[in-house]
Amino acid sequence: MELLRQTVWLLRKDLLLELRRRESVVAMFFFGTLLLFVFHFAFEIPPDRAAAMAPGLLWLAFIFTGTLGLTQLFQAERENHCLEALLLGPMDRAALYLAKVSFNLFLMLLVEVIIFPLFWILFNLAFWELLPSLFLVALLGTMGFCVLGTLFSAVTLKARARELLLPLILFPLMIPVILATVRGMEILLRTGQFEEAVPWLRLLVGFDVIFLTAGFLIFEWVIEA
Amino acid sequence: MAQAAQNKTRGRKLLGASALLSVLAGLYFGLIEAPPDAYQGNAQRIMYLHIPSILTAYLSFFIVFIGSCLFLWKREKRDDILASSAAEIGVLFTALTILEGSIWGKPTWGVWWTWDARLTLTAILLLIFIGYLMLRSLIEDETRAAVCSAVLGIIGFLDIPLIHMSVYWWRTLHQPPSILRPDKMPWENIHPSMLIALAVNFAAFILLYFYLLSLRFHVGEMEEEAKTRKLYRGSL
Amino acid sequence: MSGWGFVFLAYGIVWLALLLYLFFLKRRARRVEKELAALRSSAVKKN
Repeated sequence: MELLRQTVWLLRKDLLLELRRRESVVAMFFFGTLLLFVFHFAFEIPPDRAAAMAPGLLWLAFIFTGTLGLTQLFQAERENHCLEALLLGPMDRAALYLAKVSFNLFLMLLVEVIIFPLFWILFNLAFWELLPSLFLVALLGTMGFCVLGTLFSAVTLKARARELLLPLILFPLMIPVILATVRGMEILLRTGQFEEAVPWLRLLVGFDVIFLTAGFLIFEWVIEA
Repeated sequence: MAQAAQNKTRGRKLLGASALLSVLAGLYFGLIEAPPDAYQGNAQRIMYLHIPSILTAYLSFFIVFIGSCLFLWKREKRDDILASSAAEIGVLFTALTILEGSIWGKPTWGVWWTWDARLTLTAILLLIFIGYLMLRSLIEDETRAAVCSAVLGIIGFLDIPLIHMSVYWWRTLHQPPSILRPDKMPWENIHPSMLIALAVNFAAFILLYFYLLSLRFHVGEMEEEAKTRKLYRGSL
Repeated sequence: MSGWGFVFLAYGIVWLALLLYLFFLKRRARRVEKELAALRSSAVKKN
């Protein structure tokens, strides 16, 4: 499939660049960790409340870290007119979208995999066995974040005050994802089972599918504007 | 050509006149004719503003959506003008909806704000509208601004059902132990003159909304023509 | 009676805001109409 080939090719380029320069992933990781520290000073978290507050705090950290990644997302293309060069060829624009979504997803998941256990250690939480299931919920949420975030990263690409505008536009649209992910994780922590959380997870999957499709179809118009 | 413009102006004036009449009628029915509510007293009269306001806010967003879709499809400037006009007026009506809800809440629930589903949803709608207008103003190239805001208009509209679902579930499945005000409307045993007041105010708001929208759209079209003429002043 | 104060507050704010918006919109309309008329007539003169 031509689209898949182009997507993989673009993704490989981004991964190689990141591997060599390690700009985004290091910054995101340190920023996420820093946020955890700040949360510890900002919120009085008594041990019995830690598990209840954990999903919200974690997800906040991921969202802000992810926004950092999003503003960097098209940085390589912005320099030296690379974007125009890319668009000169007959490449499917949707491939660029899919590649960028995958790349941001990869970065965020990498950061999350480290920050999750770090959070658990820093806040002295138990339930280590629930971490994989919690991570699954976070994966669905991160997917939603990347899908819409990548689209609007492209939308705000040539806007003034871009770093402020992107979160301003993105966060209200992300509310279903924020609610669903945090509630899902919270239910998991409380009951240890998926059952009650299923409606929220279905909402997440629905969100991911709808906006992946929408982004896939619309991205072409955005990037060529 | 001039005749069409004259007809449009006349139509607008007619719309404005009927809006004014129905607004006055709405005031009469809402403030004088309708009785005070058995539970909420006179504060309930704010509902004659609040419910039509919510409707016009969501209607506005729908029009932004339609304008955005049409624009991305056909790339005609007037669809973009429609979308941006609807967004501007939509912000106004949404902000008013929140104010009305808040003022109604004080005598009814005792607080100026609660995170009940309706108010929260309206606040989110306002945030999306504001994002739309900010996006437009912060992108310098006009065509790009139109395309990008159209994308936001479409995605935002698609998101609204999902936002609705998540906020309602959050509010009904997850009751916080602190302030839980019953979010109910006294629909049972509604007095007929209350219904009339509501209906008249509905009509008033719809007419007023479309009057403002048509006027704003007209201004948008004129500004666009003025811009084009100035641009091609030498060659026209 | 209870609540009239709130009613007048709400109604007052709403209709004031709407009237103000209408006022500023009409002012903007007048300004553009004048500008447009001048541009149109100067185009006619050229032709």
